[in-house]
Amino acid sequence: MPVFRYRTVFDVVRGAKAFLNLETGVTRGAVPQATRMNVQGPSEDGIAPRNMIWIFGTGRTGSTWLAAMMEEPEGHEVWFEPRVGTFFDPQRFERFGGKHFILASQYKDVWLGSIRNFILDGANARFPELAGENGGYLAVKEPGGSVGASLIMEALPESGMVLLTRDPRDVVASWLDATRKGGWQTERRGEEGRRAESLAETNPNAFVRRHADAYLQHVGSAKRAYDAHEGRKVVVRYEDLRADTLGTMKRMYSELGVPMDEARLAKAVEKHSWENIPEEEKGQGKFYRKATPEGWREDLTRHQVKTVEQITAPLLEEFYPTGPAEQEG
Amino acid sequence: MRPENIVWIFGTARTGSSWLSAMMGEIGGYSRWHEPLVGHLFGNLYFVRAGHRHEDEHFILGTPHRELWLDAVRRFVLDSAAARFPEIAGRNDRYLIIKEPQGSMGAPLLMEALPESRMILLVRDPRDVVASNLDAHKKGTWTADLMRKGGREKPPSLAESRPDDFVKGQARRYVRDVGNAKRAYEAHRGPKVLVKYEELRADTLATMKRIYSALEIPVEEAELARSVEKHSWERIPAEQKGEGKFHRKAKPGGWREDLTPEQVEIVERVAGSLLGELYPVRSTA
Repeated sequence: MPVFRYRTVFDVVRGAKAFLNLETGVTRGAVPQATRMNVQGPSEDGIAPRNMIWIFGTGRTGSTWLAAMMEEPEGHEVWFEPRVGTFFDPQRFERFGGKHFILASQYKDVWLGSIRNFILDGANARFPELAGENGGYLAVKEPGGSVGASLIMEALPESGMVLLTRDPRDVVASWLDATRKGGWQTERRGEEGRRAESLAETNPNAFVRRHADAYLQHVGSAKRAYDAHEGRKVVVRYEDLRADTLGTMKRMYSELGVPMDEARLAKAVEKHSWENIPEEEKGQGKFYRKATPEGWREDLTRHQVKTVEQITAPLLEEFYPTGPAEQEG
Repeated sequence: MRPENIVWIFGTARTGSSWLSAMMGEIGGYSRWHEPLVGHLFGNLYFVRAGHRHEDEHFILGTPHRELWLDAVRRFVLDSAAARFPEIAGRNDRYLIIKEPQGSMGAPLLMEALPESRMILLVRDPRDVVASNLDAHKKGTWTADLMRKGGREKPPSLAESRPDDFVKGQARRYVRDVGNAKRAYEAHRGPKVLVKYEELRADTLATMKRIYSALEIPVEEAELARSVEKHSWERIPAEQKGEGKFHRKAKPGGWREDLTPEQVEIVERVAGSLLGELYPVRSTA
């Protein structure tokens, strides 16, 4: 499974790089401080929170590709979907508003500190080679935990944030393909995958609606976190990344204040380019499908396009303001 | 906060945990934390949403780093408890009762993270639990009042539109909550006690004495008797009791009047294993 292939590569590379000198640098601009929280040891001795870069958005936006490129340079590692954001979904806990609730607003300073320590402990145990201000950078690929992006960025205000987006119509089309009979997601998730497959096959319109809702929830949460975050941050659109990968990567690192050698970056971009993926690993039902922006025009029915556009309208207008498909043609 | 001075109450909703924790919280030196839901916070991700990723070292709750995140869970709980109950922090003679039936899904994680703590596994016949929930989620009941107080309207419930499906869902929830609480209970090596709601109703004072004895917590019998008396069913005003109210009928075996034979069959099929272990005399419905 390609997603696991990547993780195996990550693991091997991490092991090897622990023995190498790390490329480091200083970040630009003011970095917010965690001043109000119950902060303990980890931030002193381990990975510097300012050297963490969170990637939020949703699945099928190219986050695996982006993370693979970000992990290539020496001194840069990727924490592959810790799912810590899933804990801290404010919407899930809306109904538990009382003062007794563990995440009650009256005690926010306390539990925000706990969230911070929870994450830093986990990062330090997994990436000890990145410890210290000059220890290197950790990208946290967390699209599936985007519902908790706001609390994570509030707990780690010094960290950088990437809001990775993609046209919701293409995201939903990609999920529909992945979850159909024999699709990579169906194979990967076992029983749960088969249930999703069933919906994709038997009631694709309901499947489309459900994934459009999920897009709104995930990317909407990430966007709110992005808007509130006062530290370094950047919006990266999958379409820009496809159109000019190197240019977009350079812009991203520049906005994040992370020094990056251009030649090394170019090498990483080249290594993970679409063209370098073997043909037999690409195509319908595979993890690497077609990487064609606006492929939804071929993949979705008119009704499905309308459904996605209606549900995700606020985000579509924000990031893809050309208007609904009906008006274009 | 000393973890050994924490007493956890796990089980599931509608097992009498409010009553039990009220009696315990009444006694001098005890404070009560009413449903922090920390067990739900961690248990939901670990057991439900990412159950397939336990062996993945990148997963925040992955087995390769289990000791590390259990320690983080421990600090999460203790820091929050200390902030809320400063009167207990550092005291040998004071106890914190954490009523956590709806966080029972995460009981195995919490008890492993806090092995010094004491644990009550509070159970009740699943047929009565489901019957109580069926009543609670009908239109115009106490759950709707509770939501209204929080500024929200209760959405239409399956309890009204598809009661058999509601019953099935509640039976599954019982299995999830009580099943995990029971697993935590069996693994826990510290002071612990299994309490049946039916025993608590039949002889409250004796059952309470047994709880304190098993948990190895000293209690003055006269004070305990006063607390039991104060919170007895008989002292609850009549107008606060009955159908659709939080205090419904407190009658073990009431499911025979409340559930249809089909619903009894559903609960017994879904929760059969736990029912057989905890209540070995089977239904004749």
